[in-house]
Amino acid sequence: MTRSIGPATLAPPRKSPGVVRQIVNQRADYLYVLPALIVMLVVIAYPIWFTIDMSFYKTPASLQLRDRSFVGLKNYATILSAPAFWAVTWNTMIWTLASTCFAFLIGLGAALALHREFAGRGVMRALLLIPYVVSAVAASYVWKWLYHSDFGVFGALSVQLGFTDKPINFLDNLYTVLPSLIVVNIWREFSFAMIMLMAGLQTVPEQLLRAAQVDGANAWQRFWHITMPHLKGVSMVTILLLMVANFNSFVVPWIMTGGGPAGASDIWITHIYQIAFGRQNWGLASAYSVILFVVMMALGYFYVKALTRGDEGRAG
Amino acid sequence: MKKKTNMQIAAKVVTLSVSAALAMAPVAVLAQEAIDLSKWSPAYVKAIAGTAKFDTVGDCNKVVSTDHAGRVTYWYTGPADSDPEISRKVDAEFWLAFKAAYPNIAVDAQNIVYNDLLDKFRVALLGNAGPMVVRLQILGGVEFGAKGYLQELKPEDVGYTSADFWPGAMKSVTYGGATYGIPTNNETMAFIYNAKIFADAGLDPETAPATWDDVVVASKTIHDKLGIAGYGMVAKQNAGNTPFRFMPQLWAYGGSALDENAAAPTYKTIGLNSPGSKAALQASYDMYVRDQSVPVSALTNTQGENQAPFIAGQLAMMIAHPSEYAKMVDLASKATGADKAVADEVVANMRYGLMPSGPDRRAVVFGGSNIHLVKGEYVDGGQDDMAARALICMWTSPEWSTKLAWVGSNPGNLKGFQTEWMKERLDTIKFLDVTTSMLPNGIPFPVIPEAPEIMNIIIPDMLQNALTGKMTVDEAAEDAAKKVEALLSGL
Repeated sequence: MTRSIGPATLAPPRKSPGVVRQIVNQRADYLYVLPALIVMLVVIAYPIWFTIDMSFYKTPASLQLRDRSFVGLKNYATILSAPAFWAVTWNTMIWTLASTCFAFLIGLGAALALHREFAGRGVMRALLLIPYVVSAVAASYVWKWLYHSDFGVFGALSVQLGFTDKPINFLDNLYTVLPSLIVVNIWREFSFAMIMLMAGLQTVPEQLLRAAQVDGANAWQRFWHITMPHLKGVSMVTILLLMVANFNSFVVPWIMTGGGPAGASDIWITHIYQIAFGRQNWGLASAYSVILFVVMMALGYFYVKALTRGDEGRAG
Repeated sequence: MKKKTNMQIAAKVVTLSVSAALAMAPVAVLAQEAIDLSKWSPAYVKAIAGTAKFDTVGDCNKVVSTDHAGRVTYWYTGPADSDPEISRKVDAEFWLAFKAAYPNIAVDAQNIVYNDLLDKFRVALLGNAGPMVVRLQILGGVEFGAKGYLQELKPEDVGYTSADFWPGAMKSVTYGGATYGIPTNNETMAFIYNAKIFADAGLDPETAPATWDDVVVASKTIHDKLGIAGYGMVAKQNAGNTPFRFMPQLWAYGGSALDENAAAPTYKTIGLNSPGSKAALQASYDMYVRDQSVPVSALTNTQGENQAPFIAGQLAMMIAHPSEYAKMVDLASKATGADKAVADEVVANMRYGLMPSGPDRRAVVFGGSNIHLVKGEYVDGGQDDMAARALICMWTSPEWSTKLAWVGSNPGNLKGFQTEWMKERLDTIKFLDVTTSMLPNGIPFPVIPEAPEIMNIIIPDMLQNALTGKMTVDEAAEDAAKKVEALLSGL
């Protein structure tokens, strides 16, 4: 039996409908997401647009915002030519990289330790979660008193144990303040990494580890060649989230030192806050925020790119 | 016809009572003598207290008739839960008295915490949703006056004269030649010390250091002999506490931020790199770096962090508000065991002295609050000028400016010092005579919109740059002067 081939079968493929046509065709779907879309436009898109717009204006303390004057890229030029910008950027990089690396590594160690069965594991897990659930503000005040240069617990201990003859100056010294704050930040964040990695460890196939052990692989080899590859995805996400959180850190440095002494613990966010709310210079603060926004977006782009590398190949 | 509610009937009765009182008022007012600021001293403050009576409602009736019907909205920082009971009681009494005097004016008053008021007011003005009347801390109003949000308002507009207020306070509400508010209350800080620590260190326990040089020496002596901190230096970044304690020192040595210490300041010249300013900075450097006689934590301390070591007998001297004594009594009452004995001993040995003088003068920051009238276009629902003026008249009257400043400040209206309530305050609040006697030495911060940045950021930065060794004293002063110059030139 022969089948006739009709004209419809031979016709060239239809052009895919345009965006407008697609929206019209699927208008019910768009109506369902419209409320969420409007909310996102109001609370995310508008502030971003407003900040970018404001960054091109001069807003002196003596003028209303409506009397601001357009200065083009001058705010950006002012920022990039200011020595303070580079000092603050350097502090931010040290803060972000050190906090992220150590929080991740300590979190990984804690997750591996808690992955094994042992008596009191539940209690230990609960204890290690405390830093993550304690309010950042409360923790900052507690750490401020622990570090206090005159009456702090650490200082008193170091004197009583004979390590030093007077309390160690943690927060009122140009060189010790940033490392001291980073320790607090790591203490706060490692629990988060631990939770994420503990979840990731559940996905490592037990049979694979046993098979490797039977084949003679030692503990390090099993960890490096089996556990770590399985943790790659969750590790990338954890590091990304930690980096974003650390770039945007405010509470710990602001409460503990206010960016001092002499700017030694000033990072981008505390610096922007001071320019905006301390100096009432909204234009300059907006330009700073836009620079930070671009850096964060670039970081996010490359990170997601790295995260999804190979996915397209697998999908194909 | 609508049926009258009990509240309306009560209001009518109060109105009739007030009207009757108004008719009899003139006989109740005593003759008042003008206050002579040149005679100001603890003895003079005590001598004039209780010498005059004022008819508040009668005086305000001359400005705004008590029959006036309208509405007023008011934002201010009033008493908080943690404040003494008397503050809340007086605040409640004021609103009852205002209701009794002006029964037809509806009041919407919002008590907003100190740290939120400025930001909330800024945001509300952007949306044309401000209150009709606002009371702001002494330096708060200039920003809004400069931006054109405030109506011109002077004491004469509500029945008083500018001479009824401290010249320094009037300076704080004057911007570009126009007056934008009326002082409600004014205070200066005082020098507080622990007499027992002084005695233990071999210093005169009954005399506060007379000069800032004496403070440097006393601080070193106390630290060297007793191993505790002498002077409670405060040098934190981004903190208003820092300039309130450093500027008196700067002015005493002959320095200045701009020319705010001049009789007629222009705010055009920069004084942070003057020899006087450098000498003051050097004195701080000597205490912090050379002698190490002040808390190491001074760079991260606000005054709040000085209270604990002071009540524990580990700090000998500090600069604080008149209300600090009440705070120490409160802390001592909460202490237990051995700490309680130490705290009680500190309270018993707490002394107030005049702020130390310097080669140039004795000086202190002139603090307080001012009341302002917002322009109608920025007010939610528009301005009711008469209702607003009635409120301002009552609030700034000799009677209420005294009562409303009961614990932490002093009446903005100088005639308040002549009232019976001032006499009662002097009889019941310890050291009030010392702190009030400092008022003539008060210097307000520069009355320009850039002042918060100069005072809260540039000056603390200057101190930190010198005290951390990041810069020399000379470099830190020159760096600060350059920053002020850039700021004023609009860069």
